[in-house]
Amino acid sequence: MTPPPSISSDLKGPTLGPTYFTAFGVDERLIREALSDALSQGGEYADLFFQHRVAHNFVLEDGSVNRAFKGTELGVGVRVVKGDQTGYAFTEDLSLESVREAARTAATIAEGARTGAPQRFHMTTGLPSRYATARRWDNVRPEDKLPLLTGLNDRTFSMNDAIRKVNITFADEMSAILIADSSGRVVEDIQPMTLLYLSCVAEKNGEREQNTYGVAARQDMSFYSKDRLDVMVREAVDRTMILFDAVQAPAGEMPVVLGAGASGILLHEAIGHGMEADFNRKGTSIYADKIGRKVAQPFVNIVDEGTQEGARGSINIDDEGNAVGRTNLVENGVLTTYLHDTISAKHYGVKPTGNGRRESYQFAPLPRMRSTYMLPGPHKKEEIIASVKKGLYCSNFTNGQVQIGAGDFTFYVKNGYLIEDGKLTKPIKDVNIIGNGPKVLEQIDMVADDLTIDQGGWTCGKDGQSVPVSQGIPTVRVASITVGGRSER
Amino acid sequence: MTAREAVPEEFRSIAHDAVDAALKAGAQSVAARIAKVREVGVQWRDGQIEQVTESTTRGLGLSLYVDGRFASVSTSDLRSEAIQPFIADAVAMTRTLSEDPFRALPDPTLYADRPTLDLEFADPAYGAMTAARRRDLARAIEDAARSVAKADRILSVTTSVSDSRSEMFRVTSNGFEGERIDTSFWLSGSVTVQDDDGRRPEEGDTSGGRFISDLGDPLPVGRSSAERALARLGAGKVASGVMTLVLDNRAGGRFVGALLSPLAASAIQQRRSFLEGRAGQVIGSPLLSVADEPLIPRGFGSRHFDGEGLSARRLPLFEAGVLKNFYVDTYYGKKLRMPPTTGSTSNLDWGLGTKSQAELIAEAGEGVFVTGFLGGNSNGTTGDYSLGIQGFMIRKGTLAEPVAEMNISGTQLDLWKRLVGVGNDPYEYSSMRTPTLVFEGVSFAGV
Repeated sequence: MTPPPSISSDLKGPTLGPTYFTAFGVDERLIREALSDALSQGGEYADLFFQHRVAHNFVLEDGSVNRAFKGTELGVGVRVVKGDQTGYAFTEDLSLESVREAARTAATIAEGARTGAPQRFHMTTGLPSRYATARRWDNVRPEDKLPLLTGLNDRTFSMNDAIRKVNITFADEMSAILIADSSGRVVEDIQPMTLLYLSCVAEKNGEREQNTYGVAARQDMSFYSKDRLDVMVREAVDRTMILFDAVQAPAGEMPVVLGAGASGILLHEAIGHGMEADFNRKGTSIYADKIGRKVAQPFVNIVDEGTQEGARGSINIDDEGNAVGRTNLVENGVLTTYLHDTISAKHYGVKPTGNGRRESYQFAPLPRMRSTYMLPGPHKKEEIIASVKKGLYCSNFTNGQVQIGAGDFTFYVKNGYLIEDGKLTKPIKDVNIIGNGPKVLEQIDMVADDLTIDQGGWTCGKDGQSVPVSQGIPTVRVASITVGGRSER
Repeated sequence: MTAREAVPEEFRSIAHDAVDAALKAGAQSVAARIAKVREVGVQWRDGQIEQVTESTTRGLGLSLYVDGRFASVSTSDLRSEAIQPFIADAVAMTRTLSEDPFRALPDPTLYADRPTLDLEFADPAYGAMTAARRRDLARAIEDAARSVAKADRILSVTTSVSDSRSEMFRVTSNGFEGERIDTSFWLSGSVTVQDDDGRRPEEGDTSGGRFISDLGDPLPVGRSSAERALARLGAGKVASGVMTLVLDNRAGGRFVGALLSPLAASAIQQRRSFLEGRAGQVIGSPLLSVADEPLIPRGFGSRHFDGEGLSARRLPLFEAGVLKNFYVDTYYGKKLRMPPTTGSTSNLDWGLGTKSQAELIAEAGEGVFVTGFLGGNSNGTTGDYSLGIQGFMIRKGTLAEPVAEMNISGTQLDLWKRLVGVGNDPYEYSSMRTPTLVFEGVSFAGV
């Protein structure tokens, strides 16, 4: 693991020159006057978040790419902070007058005398380059993307005669952001994203099953290598066909082995959300007041970082302009650090951890996860499976949810196996698993050495805002958790 | 009928100009929709304002039919110098796609006979909601929450007061024009309490409506938020088993949504619906009667026309357990050779029972009263579902200890035949308007 790179955000950088947003009429005067209006009623801190996002979706259905969607968003959000209080307004009209009006609206959170606004602005330099792209997505022609979809469609049908329907969605996005704050700091980033989903429906002996395989990354077209597409076709078909042989999972408490990779959804729900500092600042998380306590076995280490090259959850800077590194949630079994944005960091008197994120200029930032995973442990996958007399092995998931305060969380298992006498036996499908965060952390009693970061298109929702995230985990054993299968009586 | 406010003329001209520009750029048919939404809200927490937000968003959306090909695009960049190239690029992008003989604007005869009933979308008194009034309401909800018994267990109270006003205008190149202005107002409270075992359960309540007057008194919302949270203290799981499930009317949407999604023509045509080919068949018990009803004054899903412009009309979905109709839009209707009904849900109108929730709980005797779902999913292709739940045990006809960290599972086709009770209490703060529902013999997982 590499240490977080340092970003120079002092005032020694170059003064504000041309930016991506110059073409939209955004200049130093507009930034200065908007921040001045934002602080006109005594706000302690203010920032502007400019965004231009161009997104495409191409969909293949019934054998051809017969629909496309394109969306363009342009706007600026103005935030004014006083203590724990926030005023927020945005506008989609980047004229000087409109941005200043939004700033005056956000300013009303404070009720006091004007605060000093910066007169000079400096670009932050030395940003890392975690998603180097040869060609920006808004410059890639549709003709270059479409053969990918038709090729996948043909190959999926040729894999198995039982396939009846194939749906493929290809999505790409270019998001340019510029953050200017009341310290005079200006940061700019261009963030790419792409997703590819392949979903198929199969029929066998009058039964029907459906499943999906997807990948996502902050990369360019080169992400779609032959190997990756081979895996995609094979996995989508295999994950669908195995459902015909699946049995219903049993109901009740039992040991559950989580396969490496996508099972990181456990960490996202069981601990990640509960460690977001806003909930703890408000006292509404089950992890409030637990920093420094032992919450898991000493071989359990859980981190959240945004630095993996090209990962869906990676970012060069967060949406408040702060540096992004690695945050240790659990170190050797001890609860270590919350995930902070600027407001919570100030509240706790610590440095921001680069977790301030937002869906778009329409929203104020919140502490959010980036890529959350568990470090490798001392056990072997085979040894873990062999240790279970009667339980479940889970490998593929669709969704999860958590109650931050009560700590109860769930995740939905799409594929897995029964474990009987230490061996994977019958496949299972469609079963929800429900547990309580801190209780389940205590129950993680084996961790393998096979950490895998999942490449799926995970999206995290909080307070009505969606942000892209990554997750990963080695094979682990949870000694006991409730499996929501069918009860006999 | 009251006079209705019209959308600004500027609005109409942006949409009309966009249609003209798309036709000029080579489209044969176009639909344009422009909308503007103003949202204002205050979030209050533990004695002070946490966040105030105010925003106005504008967007233009186009559906383009070019040389037998289809794309849909949207933009918030409404500068005239940006719109023209945006449309030209969008038409060029559409040309790169495959032809699709099933894509077309709706048959214009379906635009005819649009209902004129006043659905009371917009409160003429919208402007009466001020920043000071929002703040006073937000504070009053917290004060009410902290006034209940055992309030010393409360860790935090968050309340919110928000309202919105939206204007929309839609026009197509084959003769549709429609517009609407609507408002809505919401109050909510959310309370976190301290449990003995370290858990911090959170619950809340909400009220709202299209008119300020629908908000009602903030005090019951505050009190109920706190009482609901305090009722969660000591929650645990019980042994797995097959039990009667009484579903709180406000939690019903999740269950009902899993039954409605497979009614979509897209799901049928793509063979992802366990309801395919079952029109006229018995899906539920005789108590299952539901229609899609767009014409309910002040209903959250009410409308005079749907997203494609089709004139709104009642659509029976299930009558005495028998499946009557699907949600069919123009595109998948053509693919399936089924006449379009509507492609999207509006409000639900349930065949109601005569009993209250308390009576249904008493009648159930023993079972689980489910007040909320946590995660889980329902497989629309097979009907298999598995959902996390919380609620209360029902013992001797009354609510007993709270349960959490439990799960239910089964298949939809079996579940709805087990419907043995329907309340008289449609939940008024959702377009699904679900009453309390009682199901026999549901599989619960716990210890």
